[in-house]
Amino acid sequence: MNRRTFLKTLAGGALGLGLGALAPPTLKAAASPDLVAVKGLDLTTMFDRGLEALGGLGRYIKSGQTVLIKPNMAWAVDPEGAANTNPALIAHMVKNILNLGAKKVYVYDNTCDNWSDAYRMSGLESAATDAGATVAPAYQEGYFQKVTIPGGATLKTTQYHELYLEADVIINVPVLKHHGGAKMTAAMKNLMGAIWDRRPLHREGLDETIPDLLLYKKPNLHVVDAARVMLNGGPRGRGDTRYLSSQMLLVSEDPVAVDAACAKILEASGLKAPDYIRQGESLGLGVADLTKLNVQRLSV
Amino acid sequence: MEGILSTLARLQFGQALARLASSPSYPEALYVVAIALITWLLGRWFCSFVCPLGALMDLAGRLKGLFSRTKFTHQPQTYKRFLIPTLALLAFWFGATTLFGLLEPYSLLVAKSLLYAGPNLILVGVIILAAFKGRVFCDYLCPTGLSLKILASRSLLRLTIRDSCLSCGACSRVCPTSCVDGRAKALEPGRCVLCLDCLAVCPNGSLTYGFESIKLEPKRRAFLSQAALGLVVASSSLAPASLRAKAYGQPEAVPVLPPGALSLAHLGAHCSLCHSCVRICPNHALVPSSNAHPALWNRPVLDAYVGFCQYDCVLCGQICPTKALIPLTVEEKRVARVGTVFFERPECVIVRNNTSCGACAELCPTGAVSMIMAPSGREEPTIQDNLCIGCGACQQACPVRPISAIRVNGLLIQQTAARPEKIATEDETLTEDFPF
Repeated sequence: MNRRTFLKTLAGGALGLGLGALAPPTLKAAASPDLVAVKGLDLTTMFDRGLEALGGLGRYIKSGQTVLIKPNMAWAVDPEGAANTNPALIAHMVKNILNLGAKKVYVYDNTCDNWSDAYRMSGLESAATDAGATVAPAYQEGYFQKVTIPGGATLKTTQYHELYLEADVIINVPVLKHHGGAKMTAAMKNLMGAIWDRRPLHREGLDETIPDLLLYKKPNLHVVDAARVMLNGGPRGRGDTRYLSSQMLLVSEDPVAVDAACAKILEASGLKAPDYIRQGESLGLGVADLTKLNVQRLSV
Repeated sequence: MEGILSTLARLQFGQALARLASSPSYPEALYVVAIALITWLLGRWFCSFVCPLGALMDLAGRLKGLFSRTKFTHQPQTYKRFLIPTLALLAFWFGATTLFGLLEPYSLLVAKSLLYAGPNLILVGVIILAAFKGRVFCDYLCPTGLSLKILASRSLLRLTIRDSCLSCGACSRVCPTSCVDGRAKALEPGRCVLCLDCLAVCPNGSLTYGFESIKLEPKRRAFLSQAALGLVVASSSLAPASLRAKAYGQPEAVPVLPPGALSLAHLGAHCSLCHSCVRICPNHALVPSSNAHPALWNRPVLDAYVGFCQYDCVLCGQICPTKALIPLTVEEKRVARVGTVFFERPECVIVRNNTSCGACAELCPTGAVSMIMAPSGREEPTIQDNLCIGCGACQQACPVRPISAIRVNGLLIQQTAARPEKIATEDETLTEDFPF
C-alpha cells in the first residue's frame, strides 16, 4: 500500500463512518429490529415474513455450515396437543436452511416421555426427516459431553449433546406453553432439552439455573411457535387443558426479549411471568424491557 | 388357543414349582408332590407326555427323519449334563429366576421378543438342535428335566435290557436322549424320557418296561450328590413364603405391578417367568422383582427409579403370552391404576431450598399431581388422588435422591382411576393483537 491509497482509504472510511452516524435513527432501526412478532394463520408464511424483517435467513446460515435445530419434541403427544413444536414449521425451516447451502441440518431433543414415542407422535421425526434433516437420538448419556459453564451463576457444569457442541449455527425453536414447574416454557427453558441431566436444575432451582444454559454456547436465533398456547396443565397437557389461540410467531436473537414477549402473552391470559427472565437479563443475555427495544409487529 | 395354553401352564412341573415358590398353596404343593412320586414310580414320562416343548422337539425329529434318519449314539453321563440346569435351579432358589425362566420349557415356548423383536431365537435354536441331535436340551439345559432326572434315576418301573440282548446297538441308534448303551447292555433311567422308540426297534424283544430290581448299586458319591441335588429341588419348592419374607426383611411397600396384572394373585398364578414384558418395555421400567415382595419371586414389577410407565404404551400386555398381564386398549390403559402417589412434602426441594421445581407435575400425564400456590409464595405440588394411575413419572422426575420426595406405592388389587375432566372446548383468544 502506498501513501496515496492509504490516504484514500482513510478518507473513505472517515466519510463512511460520518454518514453512518448521521443517518436518522428510525432508518437504522428499520434495518434490523431486535424482535419480530408475526401474527397470522400459517406458521410457514409467518416464519418467512419474520425472517425477512430480521434481514433474511441468509444472515444466519452460510453455505457449508452444520446447523442444529432444537425444537421441543419432548412429549408423546399428537401435534394438536401443542405440547411440541409444530412439525410443519420445522419442516419448512429445514428446507429453507438446506436451500441456503447448509451442509447438514440436525434435529434432536432429550425427551421427557419415552424418546421413540415422543419423536414419532410429535410428528417431528417424520416431518424433519422428509424435509432433509437428520433426526438424531439423544436418549443416552453417551451422546452428551460434559462442559464447564463460564460464568455460570448457579449451574457450573452440564452435559451438552455432541451435536450442540459441534454445530456452526444453533436455532432454538420452542413452543410457548404454560409450565407446571417453571411457570412458562419458551426460548430459554427449551434448552433444558439440549442437555442430559435436568435434575441438578430442578434441585438448585429452575429460575436460578435456566439462564446459565445459554452462557456456554448461545443459540444464534430463537423462533417461538406461539400459534396455540397451553394455558394450564403444561408442559404435557391434560384432559382439562385450556388453550389460547394467539396465532403468533416470534423471532429474535435475544432470548430474554423473546421470553419477555412470551410472558406478556401468558400474562394477558392471567398467568404469571417466570423469574428466570430477570435472571437472564442480569447475566447479560438480553433485554427484558421491551420498551427499550425495537419490536416489529407484523400481520400476515 | 389361550385355554390350551393356560391348561398346559397349569400342568407344567416347572411352572408349578414357580407358582409354589411365590404363592404356596395346598393344591399346587399336592400337584408337585404327585408328579414327583409318579416320576419316582414310573420314570420321566412327564417329558414325553406332558411337556409341550418335548412334544415339539419330537415332532421336529420326526419331520427331519422323513428326509434322513438321524443316527444317535450312546453318550455317557457326565457332570456337564448337570451344570446349567443346576445353576438355574440354584439361582431360582435364591430368587433369581432369569435363567430358570429362560430354560424352563413352557416359559421358553411362550416367551417373546428375546432380541427386542422378531422370533424367539433360543426356541428356534432348541427346535433345530432337536431335529438333528435329539433331546440334547432336556439333558443339558432343562431345569425341569434335571428335577425329574434325579427322581427317575431310581424309579421303580423302568426300561431294562434283558440278558437275551444281542448287543446289536439298534436301540442306541434311535435313542434321542442317547441314554441307552446297547453294546454294554446298560440304560440310564434318569435320562430316559420313555419315548419307547427303542422298544420298537429291538429285534428280539430284549427291552422291556417294568419292575426291575436295581442291579448295580450306585456309587456312594454319585448317590450322595444326587441326593443333595434332590434336596435343593425339593426345598426350593417347599420353603414357605413367610420364611423368605423374614430372610429378605419385611417389604416396605407393595411393589407396583405392571398394568393389566389385575392383582398379585393373578400375576402369581399366570406369569410363566418368561420376562417378555421386561424385554419389551420401552422405558426399561419393568424389572424382574428381586426382593420387592416374597410373593413375586422375580415376576415383573415397575421400578420407577429406572423408568416410568409410558402413558399411552400397552406393549407389555400385548406381548404377555400367558395373559398374566391382560391386554389393555390405550383408553383402558390411561385409567388403569397400578399404584397410588405419596408426597413427602418436607423432603421436596421447593420446601427445603425455597426454589421452584415442579418436575413431578410436569411429567404427570393425568393431572393427579399439579402445582398450587402455597402460602410461601411458591407453587408446590398438590395431589388429586383419584386421578393417579401410579405410572411413577413423578417419582422418576423428582430431583431428590436416593429416595424421591414423591413416589408411588403399588396396589395388591389394581383399580381404575378417574378420568380427567374435559373442561374447555373452545380456544381462548387475545383481546389485542400484540399484548406487548
